[in-house]
Amino acid sequence: MTLELFRIDDRLVHGQVVIGWGLPHALGFLVVVDDEIAAAPWEQELYRMGTPEGMEVVFATVAEAAAAMPNYQADARSGMLLTADVATMVRLAEAAAAVRQVTLGGLHHRADRVPRLRFVFLSPSEESALRGLAARGVTVMAQDVPTSAPIPLEAVLAAEGTE
Amino acid sequence: MIELLVGHLLPLALLGALLGLDVVAFPQAMLSRPIVAATLVGGFLGAPDRGLLVGVALEFFALEAMPFGATRYPEWGSASVVGSALFTPATDGTTGAMLLAVLFALITAGLGGASMHLLRQVNAALAKRQQVRIARGSGGAVVALQLAGLTADLLRGGVLTFGVLLVLGPAYRRALEAMTISASFSRAMVVGTASAVGLAALWKLGRTTPGAPWYLAVGLVAGFALAGGLL
Amino acid sequence: MTPAPATLPWHVHLAMYLRLFAIQGAWNYETMTGNGIAFALEPALRRLPGGRGGPAYCEAMARQSGYFNAHPYLAAVAVGALARAELDGVPAAQIERFKVAATGPLGSVGDRLIWAGWLPFCSALALLAFGLGASPTTVVALFLGCYNVVHLGLRAWGLRAGWRHGLHVAQALGTPVLRKGPAHVTRATALLAGLALPSAAVGIIGPGRAVLGLVLGGVVAGAAVITSLQGRIAGWRLAIAVLTLFTILSLVR
Repeated sequence: MTLELFRIDDRLVHGQVVIGWGLPHALGFLVVVDDEIAAAPWEQELYRMGTPEGMEVVFATVAEAAAAMPNYQADARSGMLLTADVATMVRLAEAAAAVRQVTLGGLHHRADRVPRLRFVFLSPSEESALRGLAARGVTVMAQDVPTSAPIPLEAVLAAEGTE
Repeated sequence: MIELLVGHLLPLALLGALLGLDVVAFPQAMLSRPIVAATLVGGFLGAPDRGLLVGVALEFFALEAMPFGATRYPEWGSASVVGSALFTPATDGTTGAMLLAVLFALITAGLGGASMHLLRQVNAALAKRQQVRIARGSGGAVVALQLAGLTADLLRGGVLTFGVLLVLGPAYRRALEAMTISASFSRAMVVGTASAVGLAALWKLGRTTPGAPWYLAVGLVAGFALAGGLL
Repeated sequence: MTPAPATLPWHVHLAMYLRLFAIQGAWNYETMTGNGIAFALEPALRRLPGGRGGPAYCEAMARQSGYFNAHPYLAAVAVGALARAELDGVPAAQIERFKVAATGPLGSVGDRLIWAGWLPFCSALALLAFGLGASPTTVVALFLGCYNVVHLGLRAWGLRAGWRHGLHVAQALGTPVLRKGPAHVTRATALLAGLALPSAAVGIIGPGRAVLGLVLGGVVAGAAVITSLQGRIAGWRLAIAVLTLFTILSLVR
């Protein structure tokens, strides 16, 4: 067991994470990497309310998460690391070599984004950042819950709808 | 049997519409759960106990699927109407009736899930048409969009139920005539498959909660003893 | 002078409560429940200065119809909190920040409490009643009664708690019922479902129960196979394949 999943999801801790992935993978801890949330106790309190008993949630800045990565990897429990946006995951991947595979779990509609999948909307700068991540050797794919098939980055970027 | 089905096609489609609407859009009171919906349809067709039988079988499957917001999941409202409408009129002991009714209900549940995915795209298109008014803060546009979505979902469930019964009804009858397995084997096959899915779902739900696997084990032991007493 | 706290007459509260039942009526992949949130809030927003169609009303409606998603029952908490924030004149940026932060937790708590907790519990209860020979009316009434006591109560509580606490509603979500409740419900469901499964199976198979032992053995083996797949394929899809195979075998024999 270790930190086995790295997910980009703008809702961070929600049902798909704690139940959809949490139950089949028996997740024991979540690492929420977000500089703003790491400095906002009231937001942390809200996210803590969303985690079940027996599942620990840790809040960290990018720098803190990169420094603590060996500890996460050595944890006896299964874990998932979450960022709310592409930029944060890219910064983390640059700071920590342990980020080898990233899943796009949910990036939703915004004025500057176009729909790629029903749960992935991306802006041009996010697409470029994801290509950069892939160029560094990180496997990037989209998958909201384990029962849906993982979709490789190239297929995501070629999609033009909400399939 | 099939004549009964044809005579009730429109009311069944209406039930499919209302119960399909309950799954997500309104009022989500779980009238659409198989154990309820199939029994209601059975009652409508004059045999609630047979509706309940097929509803229980489908309920095991429904234990597995959780309707998380944006995920795709089976739609049990219309599916239960189809399953019960096919199974209820067959005389007790008809060869293979439950096997086929449940199989067709599961297929309908999958089609229903796909139709909900389509509906969400229709809703997005409707929202785009109202985008300018909504961005200006028009309460009328918000209410109109909500009502349009509800109406579209109602139609979705109705059309799905009508279409599936129209197409699969005759196929069901022909397959029943050609089937060679006994009624009890047909039921055993369905129960075995449904219970396996249900048990796996319960294990998945409980395995990360401290103590829950033991509660499940104790429950199963007591359940087997209880079932033995019922035999 | 500090403005008096906003009040909400009972009929406005009731109108919002009733609209909550249709909160997912226009669900789509772009704004998700966003339009539903604005729809449910609308009766309260009419009380903003200028009334319905006034500048404050229009600004709030536009803001609230943007992207939002949460568990549909616990969205009531957000609706109550947002109504309070809008009527109290909380700055728009703070309201937006709350919406972003609330969407995940309100989804997670609701999904655990209802979809993974209370709903399977009520199913198991109804299956047990069926297995013990209860009539169709009793089974349906038991399921709907139990389920909807919590369903209707949760929506009402959520709206009230959101209104009372405003954007500080995390305190309300910290109630032991929501924090510890799901684990207790899961354990109760496990016990009840274990009890229900064999007797419900007997209830369906009916005459010719000689195959029961074989079936129940197959159930355990089948469940183990599905579990080992770690959710990569849904069990109901596998079931379609298995039942189709048996249908074909039965037809060609």
